[in-house]
Amino acid sequence: MMTLIVPIAADRADYVAKLPQPFRFDDEGTMYCVKAITGLPLNDFKDIYFVILRAHDNRFMLSEQLAMQFRKLKLTNAHVTILDEPTTSQAETVTRAIELNSIKGTIFIKDADCYFTADEIMPQNGVAIYALENLPVVDPQHKSYVSVDDMFYVTNIIEKRVVSHFFSAGGYCFQDAEVFCQYYNQLKDYSPLYLSHIIYAMLLDKQIFRPIEIDDYKDWGVINVNYQ
Amino acid sequence: MKLDIQGHSGCEIAIVHDDNGLQIHKSTYDPAYVSRLINQANKQIKASEIAYQNIRVPKVFEVVQNKADATIKMEYIYSKNFVEYFENAGFEQIKYLIGAIKYFIDLEINASEMQTVPANILTDKMADVARKVQKNAHLKDDIEALELVNSSQEIMNGVGDMVMPVGRCHGDLTFSNILFNGNNYYLIDFLDSFIESPLLDIVKIRQDTAYMWSTLMYHKPFDKVRLSIISARIDSAIDEYFTDKYKWYRQYYMPLQLMNFLRVLQYAHEEKVISYLKNVISGQLSFIKNTNH
Repeated sequence: MMTLIVPIAADRADYVAKLPQPFRFDDEGTMYCVKAITGLPLNDFKDIYFVILRAHDNRFMLSEQLAMQFRKLKLTNAHVTILDEPTTSQAETVTRAIELNSIKGTIFIKDADCYFTADEIMPQNGVAIYALENLPVVDPQHKSYVSVDDMFYVTNIIEKRVVSHFFSAGGYCFQDAEVFCQYYNQLKDYSPLYLSHIIYAMLLDKQIFRPIEIDDYKDWGVINVNYQ
Repeated sequence: MKLDIQGHSGCEIAIVHDDNGLQIHKSTYDPAYVSRLINQANKQIKASEIAYQNIRVPKVFEVVQNKADATIKMEYIYSKNFVEYFENAGFEQIKYLIGAIKYFIDLEINASEMQTVPANILTDKMADVARKVQKNAHLKDDIEALELVNSSQEIMNGVGDMVMPVGRCHGDLTFSNILFNGNNYYLIDFLDSFIESPLLDIVKIRQDTAYMWSTLMYHKPFDKVRLSIISARIDSAIDEYFTDKYKWYRQYYMPLQLMNFLRVLQYAHEEKVISYLKNVISGQLSFIKNTNH
């Protein structure tokens, strides 16, 4: 069984007075960050962790609201992990969550600012991809792009450079949480560090990544924001 | 159009279109640089006669030499610079590049002969560096730089005679002197080296992979993290390969890398470059002292 991690621990000056977008509600009363995972095969996950900041929790009572959301959607294996300090990257947020919850085995990281459906997620290194031509409107500069070869192996992933018609759809699978943390620790002094950098460093070390095919991708217009 | 990576030679580069397509004309109008440019052309002509698999050399069509000026007319290569290349390269392209660098340097090693390089080659060069630093208006009052030069002199005095392959090298094998055309890599700007050894080419390529020197000359925005990850991967692959294979590499790489950066320092005039060089040289001296190199 895999572990699902939703990192939402970035801080911004305007969050002093403004609720971060992933914690807002859609028309059906579902928080966007919770809706972000509802297209996934949730039965494949032993635990689900939403990783948030203590400052945001104190300010906006997020853990209580998230607990209500979990009850509403019958997510009995969902938990809130609260970080005392803001992180500098999404990878750091995930690493903190892994350490705090002693997570072992395969992890799936899901961005909180978008939605997609996936029928199956294999417990192996992978990146969720979606074809640009499936989107009616594209904002190419705020995406990372993924090249795959004819046999569907990932050969490249890069921030904000259109090297492929596939873009990274905000879902990343790492077969071994411990290996993920090792790579994070190797690269943690680089800034800004993206998950795409970690995946590329692993590719250079001959680790294999497969594309994860998804459907019904929706970006909620919260571009320009890295929720870490 | 402005080049993304600026050179230091002061040569003029022109792209000329004639009936045979595009050509590069590299010219100098500095009488003091004429012989250097001619040597560069001769080295490039010689190198272009050898097949190096993916490593290639642009053909030289004509060398025009006058008393006060010279021009090399050579093949134009449709290419990308190293930053553009690395920003788009998949992991397998980086693997090919690593293989090509190892292959090229091994060919140079095989074409060279093991020779004793007398100790005074290094100590004389060091003395020359020390004189030039003393004359450099940006360094002559810089106590930190002068102390680094003094410490370096002690290191160079202790190296002694060096036994290493001598005979063939590019002379300035940095990423900024490689044109990337798919999985073909074209070498340009050959230079005479103070020791014509392939070890000096390893030193030069690691000037970029270990110290990211050429990125200092790149003035457009780029993904520094990605480039650092790629450089570190190439560097460890090259270092491990030659460490396992050659004793002379293990013995003399560090002092020659130190000398390489000292030779850059002697002409440095930009504050940020001087600061970077002092930092690098200081780190190298600590490493050499701590490892009893």
